[in-house]
Amino acid sequence: MIEARTATAGERHMVTGDYAAAWGAMVSRPQVIAAYPITPQTMIIEHLAEFLAAGKLDAEMMRVESEHSAMSAVVAAEATGVRTYTATSSQGLALMHEPLFISPPMHLPIVMSVVNRTVASPLGIWVEHNDTMPQRDTGWMQVYVEDAQEALDMVLQAYRVAENPSVELPMMIGMDAFLVSHTIESVDLISQEAADKFLPPFKPVHAYLDPERPLVVGAAAPPEYIQEVRWETDLRMRRAAEFLEETDREFGRTFGRTYGGAFETYRLEDADAALMTLGTVTSTAREVVDRLRGQGERVGLIKLRSFRPFPADRLQDATAHLKAFGVYDRAVSYGVGGPSYIEARNALYDTTTMPILGFLAGLGGRDVTPQDVELMFKKTLGAVGRGRRASGVHWIGTRGVSP
Amino acid sequence: MAAQALAVAASHDGYSAIAFPFFGAERRGAPVLAFTRFGQERLRVRTQVYEPHYVVVLDESLIDTVDVLAGLRPGGLVVVNTTRSPDRLVLSKKAKSATVDATSIALEYTKQAAVNTAMLGAFAKASGLITIEGVEAGIMEVFGRRLSKEIADRNVAAARAAYEATRLGEADSGRVYPKASKWLPTAQELPPGLATPTLETPFGRVGVGSSTSNRTGGWRVEKPILDDAKCTNCLLCWFYCPDSSIVRGPKIVEIHYDYCKGCGVCAAVCVPKAIHMEREVEEEVRA
Amino acid sequence: MTTVKDLPQEDYFLSGHTACPGCGGAMVVRETMKVLGANTVVYMPASCLLIFSDMYPYNAFKVPSLQVLFETSAICASGIKRALKRQGKDDVTVVAFAGDGGTADIGMQALSGAAERNEDILYVCYDNEAYMNTGIQRSGTTPFGAWTTTTPLGGTSEGRGKNEFKKDVPRILMAHDVPYVATASLGFPADFLRKLEKAKAKKGFRYLHVLAPCPVGWRAESDTTVDLAKLAVETGIFTLMECEDGVLTLNREPRFTPVREYLKLQGRFKHLKDDQIAAIETWVKEKWERDRALAKALGPKPKVPVAMTK
Ligand SMILES: Cc1ncc(C[n+]2csc(CCOP(=O)(O)OP(=O)(O)O)c2C)c(N)n1
Ligand code: SF4
Ligand SMILES: [Mg+2]
Repeated sequence: MIEARTATAGERHMVTGDYAAAWGAMVSRPQVIAAYPITPQTMIIEHLAEFLAAGKLDAEMMRVESEHSAMSAVVAAEATGVRTYTATSSQGLALMHEPLFISPPMHLPIVMSVVNRTVASPLGIWVEHNDTMPQRDTGWMQVYVEDAQEALDMVLQAYRVAENPSVELPMMIGMDAFLVSHTIESVDLISQEAADKFLPPFKPVHAYLDPERPLVVGAAAPPEYIQEVRWETDLRMRRAAEFLEETDREFGRTFGRTYGGAFETYRLEDADAALMTLGTVTSTAREVVDRLRGQGERVGLIKLRSFRPFPADRLQDATAHLKAFGVYDRAVSYGVGGPSYIEARNALYDTTTMPILGFLAGLGGRDVTPQDVELMFKKTLGAVGRGRRASGVHWIGTRGVSP
Repeated sequence: MAAQALAVAASHDGYSAIAFPFFGAERRGAPVLAFTRFGQERLRVRTQVYEPHYVVVLDESLIDTVDVLAGLRPGGLVVVNTTRSPDRLVLSKKAKSATVDATSIALEYTKQAAVNTAMLGAFAKASGLITIEGVEAGIMEVFGRRLSKEIADRNVAAARAAYEATRLGEADSGRVYPKASKWLPTAQELPPGLATPTLETPFGRVGVGSSTSNRTGGWRVEKPILDDAKCTNCLLCWFYCPDSSIVRGPKIVEIHYDYCKGCGVCAAVCVPKAIHMEREVEEEVRA
Repeated sequence: MTTVKDLPQEDYFLSGHTACPGCGGAMVVRETMKVLGANTVVYMPASCLLIFSDMYPYNAFKVPSLQVLFETSAICASGIKRALKRQGKDDVTVVAFAGDGGTADIGMQALSGAAERNEDILYVCYDNEAYMNTGIQRSGTTPFGAWTTTTPLGGTSEGRGKNEFKKDVPRILMAHDVPYVATASLGFPADFLRKLEKAKAKKGFRYLHVLAPCPVGWRAESDTTVDLAKLAVETGIFTLMECEDGVLTLNREPRFTPVREYLKLQGRFKHLKDDQIAAIETWVKEKWERDRALAKALGPKPKVPVAMTK
């Protein structure tokens, strides 16, 4: 998968992750964009404004007065039947929490890039996933990317999945603050022509506000109707897993790059112990896997991309042969552990009795070094054969706390 | 608030009691549902009441559309605010009944058509389960706390008057109601995201422009009457009516009653005073 | 110019809605929709209006409507308009109907943002002077002295009704230099209809603040709605004004009927002491002095420099 990344469907340039995301948004032809600046997302909307000023982007751009309004604006625009885009980070996403709940039940497939950043307190601008993880139950799909290319490609893929008539759910794409957003690297800037081939124009199926075909959208409802809406939204989230995989394969056929769908595996086939990561730590972890393999340790890696829908079935199959499993998180659910650790344990409860360990590191943007990752592998390997009792949550690299 | 006051009354009389409203879209005058449970033992069930021992109907017009006795237990009792005698009620089945003209009593004592406290007095009399003193305690507690002592006093007087005026008898069977009265599609049938155009269902219109399925005329206590001869067609009543119940004619207006809630604005704005409000009373009593 | 007689027969806000008898808010919406007509999209926030006109599966509008959140009226209406414009449907009027709470308090941020960007929407605030949907709590536009459930009566200085004066929302909107800001009262139909027509015809951000008596929350008889709307103007408590492209006009010189005449019809003012009533009289006087001075001072706004107009 990664091997094919040198393929190009546009021009290669050295750009930041924010630029790549903005480019991905531009070639997706959103008709309404609404956004509010916040470090480290700011460059995304600055670039979009530049594209607009240069005539490369043709959209209504709403420079709104808050993230709450940014999300509400795209909800209203999407309900009128157009494709929309927004981007935010951290406090901005927290401020959006209320309007985030609106679009999933209403079938509004909005796409948003979220630069993952620490949510106060304490205030911090570096990477942490405690902005997106708490949005878990809003009904938004959540995908985490590893580099600038993926940040771009995923915008195109997101629209394809989100707008699928069987899904019609919004999607947020998490990209690590600075490590993706501000990191400059070589990116295939997909041409408009190539993008158009992959992503057809948006056709609203259910929601459109038009005096010629009047529709009630977003009514208040008594208990007689709401539970059915919840069930139907849940059903679409379950269905989305399949379309996520399919869309990635289709993307591969068009552009010569794929990402493994809901997750990608690395040297997992014959591994005894494996680590699951999400975001940029994955890149470091690949290195560590190679190094440990060199030392004779049978270790492998799972890069979790889709947190919602959570790929429980696939994960069961992929881990069936493992003897111990470690799950890395860059966010903590206080008193319990990392969010994807909780999900993984829930998903694997029926199929395995191996120990599943949780690792917390890199919170507040602290660097996660190869040594940190190696420690996670070592601890996981050390749990082999010790059964579920060896499970537990470990804080890595915390002063005064033994991991 | 009446359900709460009843629970306080029951508690005052030594019962264990709980009460809650079914909180919906209701505005003043709209039909509402509220539940009170009381008994000797500690109450644990916290759901709506589906099989009541007692049903209290605050607005007689509901009987036309709602089978108020649907879940009533055998031997149960229905208390209705009406000018009719208890033996002249025709409902879905035979049942013990009690009636009182609570609207007149409320208007006399509280100057408002809110009959809930008067109906508490009627319930106390008809059921014999709670004392009128208990009802007083309930009203003072619930209404005195939210409104003023003076208003609470007036409501107590209304309850006492209703207690005295309540008559007992037996309601007759014979009224038939349609089986289901509500559009309740399955999860698969519901319009996705509830985005709904105008839809005609076996239960009437829903979606865009469907509020007309809901005839609010039943809320009315007083009814506007037009004196055709006086109408100058100034159209102010037509302009102001919040329920679009005035229809323009070639020379004069016409009042339609399906949705008229009886607010009286038309009578108040009418320049030549061609409209006056009249209390709506069942024909048989007026005769 | 539209008079009551010229208004179309047809309603776009239909009966069967569940507003309380005599609801001023329902009147405002019905009249506005008569003027706006079929080529309209409606936004409504959480409010009495939403609950009495849009409880699934029923809906009282004949035109498309959207509801998202309480504080998002201005931004959602803007989002609808931008999306319609994108689709070549720029002729559609997008109107937001919001309560005073959704406008003056929690919705102020989005309202100010949309006004500053001169979004092409019509924003109608039906001002019933409290949070009625949640059961009569004070809002920024609740008048001085009024009883509400969060300004209840009691023995202390905290127990004399609301201690602050009404927030002047139209004046805040005027500070945004939008094409049209106006107030209206149900008591003056010709003035109201003229302003609706004007607001409908203009492009850009238009704000209409309409006094909408609420018999329930004001503790008044349901047939006094229109009288109250008239008296509010004639006592000088509610000013009829319009600010068109920066030029402010006071539309009606009131009779300055003693405020008592207005207050006494409403249970929410029943407890007022003489000193409180005197405070209201003084407030009215000062407000008029200020508004007159403002009307005199506010001529046409400065022209945009030529270089920037192209
Ligand atoms: C964020 C948020 N906070 C609070 C509420 C509860 N709420 C719903 S309607 C309402 C009051 C509405 O008052 P107003 O805007 O004046 O409209 P009215 O009901 O008086 O017509 C409140 C507080 C809400 N829906 N959303
Ligand atoms: S409470 Fe007031 S504003 Fe709300 S529906 Fe009733 S009369 Fe109208
Ligand atoms: Mg209000």
